[in-house]
Amino acid sequence: MIEVEGLVKRFGAVEVLRGVDLSVGRGEVACLIGPSGSGKSTFLRCLNGLERFQGGRVAIGDAVLDAGQSPREHAKAARRACRRMGMVFQGFNLFVHQTVLQNVIEAPVHVLGMGRDEAVERARGLLDRVGMLHRLDARPRELSGGQQQRVAIARALAMGPEVMLFDEPTSALDPKMTAEVLGVMTDLARDGQTMIVVTHAMGFARKVATIVHVFGEGLIVESGPPDRIFDAPAHDATRSLLSEVQAA
Amino acid sequence: MLAGLLLAALAPPARADALDEVRARGALRYGSDMEGGGPYAFPDPDSPRSVAGFEVEIMDRLARELGAGVRAEFAQGQWDKLLWVLDSGRYDVVVNGYEWSPIRAEDYLATRPYYIYQLQLMGPKGTPARAWGDLKRPKPDGSPWTVAVLTASAADDFAHDENAGTTRVVRFDGATDAMMAVQNGQYDFTLQDGPAATYYGDEFPGLEAVGPPVSRGYYVVYARKSDPALRDALDAGIGRLAASGELRRILEKYGIWNDLQVGLATAFQGPIDAPPVRQADRGWKLVRHYGDRLRDAALVTLGLSFGAMPLAMAIGLAVALGRMYGPGPLRPALGAYVELIRGTPLMLQLYVLFFLLKLDPWVAGIAGLAINYSAYEAEIYRAGLQAVPRGQMEAALALGMSRSQALRRVIVPQAVRIVIPPVSNDFIALFKDTSVCSVVTLIELTKEYSILANSTRAVVEFATATAAIYLAMSLPLSWFARWSERRLGAEGAKGGLA
Ligand SMILES: Nc1ncnc2c1ncn2[C@@H]1O[C@H](COP(=O)(O)OP(=O)(O)O)[C@@H](O)[C@H]1O
Ligand SMILES: [Mg+2]
Repeated sequence: MIEVEGLVKRFGAVEVLRGVDLSVGRGEVACLIGPSGSGKSTFLRCLNGLERFQGGRVAIGDAVLDAGQSPREHAKAARRACRRMGMVFQGFNLFVHQTVLQNVIEAPVHVLGMGRDEAVERARGLLDRVGMLHRLDARPRELSGGQQQRVAIARALAMGPEVMLFDEPTSALDPKMTAEVLGVMTDLARDGQTMIVVTHAMGFARKVATIVHVFGEGLIVESGPPDRIFDAPAHDATRSLLSEVQAA
Repeated sequence: MLAGLLLAALAPPARADALDEVRARGALRYGSDMEGGGPYAFPDPDSPRSVAGFEVEIMDRLARELGAGVRAEFAQGQWDKLLWVLDSGRYDVVVNGYEWSPIRAEDYLATRPYYIYQLQLMGPKGTPARAWGDLKRPKPDGSPWTVAVLTASAADDFAHDENAGTTRVVRFDGATDAMMAVQNGQYDFTLQDGPAATYYGDEFPGLEAVGPPVSRGYYVVYARKSDPALRDALDAGIGRLAASGELRRILEKYGIWNDLQVGLATAFQGPIDAPPVRQADRGWKLVRHYGDRLRDAALVTLGLSFGAMPLAMAIGLAVALGRMYGPGPLRPALGAYVELIRGTPLMLQLYVLFFLLKLDPWVAGIAGLAINYSAYEAEIYRAGLQAVPRGQMEAALALGMSRSQALRRVIVPQAVRIVIPPVSNDFIALFKDTSVCSVVTLIELTKEYSILANSTRAVVEFATATAAIYLAMSLPLSWFARWSERRLGAEGAKGGLA
């Protein structure tokens, strides 16, 4: 359902992605692991059009992002892509001037044109699912990081995305809050949600991922089912990454 | 205004008559305002760093009458504040088309006149009106005749006293401003002191004198009450210059001699008699008496502020957004707008709107303030927009919003919260800046204060009342600013995790 071909991204002279190919099928949970600076975040941001790229193409259904597009065409295609993908950020990025409920209904009402009552109904369901129904009227600053991230997941789900993108959703959280958030994500995966998850939480990857892709210096160096990647890594980069994580 | 309070508080110390000081110093300092222009005292076209004018020449001659080696020294001051500065002792006398008036004569010593002036009505060439009396009949279209005058001048008083309900008096800060506005067609007539009308007649070819001069008054030299010897010496000096024909020679040089001036040598044997002390109101009674005028002026201040500030905020926001998110070529253009507006004085901007674009005073005043403040608001908004974390925009885009939707729904609402305190501060500053609008004839609080304090001499009382009104208007805004700042602090401008 997502096809990425030959993705090249440069910041000035620095080539951050050097021709990445990837395809993700319906219901798949693809975990991306790799050392810091290897281009994982940049890759996710290219998928939904937050970044433009210099080579290759990204297709999700009829939303096609192509390196050859003009800025205007790219912006249009990016909007289409964003309708099909939800994104969860490391820093949550909840709208600080809105309450929890307002955050979740904002895009359904103002982007999809959904009626307010219907949007609230759906928001309540989603907030219940992430265990945040009791804080409907709280402002983001009144919530813990784990709570904010769960609201952010509900906000992304409210658009009914075909794919959910997670960029290190638990890196800013302590272990207890990390567990809350990973629990929600595990439930999502179990319900058949297609997900691309950039993470350092190897336990989660091993348990939930259908496939793991290892990033190294702007390329996917190795891909495979979690058990194979974690128990019998084929690539040096994977081995050193795993030993680092174990040491940490 | 504060100056008025201070000057009044620092009463001049008791001392000997200034005449001795002048002679010892070898210089007679006189207060005057070059801005008033010709033919009184104005920058010398042949030597722009010095002053010319018939008063300058008269003072040069008079100084010599005080003793060998005494020179006259010009001291620049603001015209309607010259007497206050005289009180402070910065100069010895005031000479600048100051007419003899009973109210001034109560507080200052006046010499005999050095000029007998009349008022001249001027209108656009070909005006059907032939004399001041014609203005007492209604204008054909039923609206009042508009008469431009110099604020607080004899013409101002005359036009008010002689108003038969068919004229509206419009006050200007400068004599030539009033002439220009009439030549522009913005107003029907201007009433001017004869010398100014004569001197500037050539520079305003679109104007002509209408009918014979009206009224009559005397330009005199004012000295402090504590300096009778100085006044007497100057008075005698004027007498000698008038008798010798020297005065006539100076007045002829400036083209303002006429038959009336013969009286300078024949009709006066000394200072004009001071009137019996009138039992006029003084002090706080005056403030009550003129309370309605202060209230009206305060309403003008409020109207200008509340008319201009919302506009300034809207324009400022649009400029800031254009500079940060607009299409490429727009950004430097808006940057240039901000620099141009911030880099030029508000008064000049008002002049352009009023005298060049010929806008209505209210439109010019509100537009000028709004444009001027929009540049400052734009910079405040820019800082506010930059203070919104990047992640907010990315989250909005990732949810499928367009850029403009993200700005409208997410970025601007947060930026507005951030800028409330600095914008409220600017609003308070704007209240006080409205005083510049007197150049476009709007009489707001500061101008009204100046007019009333000058004409009644109740300086301290009016200054106190005016300050109180300003405070009453700006305190609620200060409270709002502080309250919103506290609230914002509690809400945490950044929220979440950046
Ligand atoms: N906006 C940017 N401008 C310049 N360089 C960037 C930018 N964003 C990321 N990079 C660089 O791209 C590389 C990959 O970054 P990133 O995708 O964030 O890696 P990861 O998420 O795997 O840690 C890094 O070297 C980073 O410094
Ligand atoms: Mg990253």
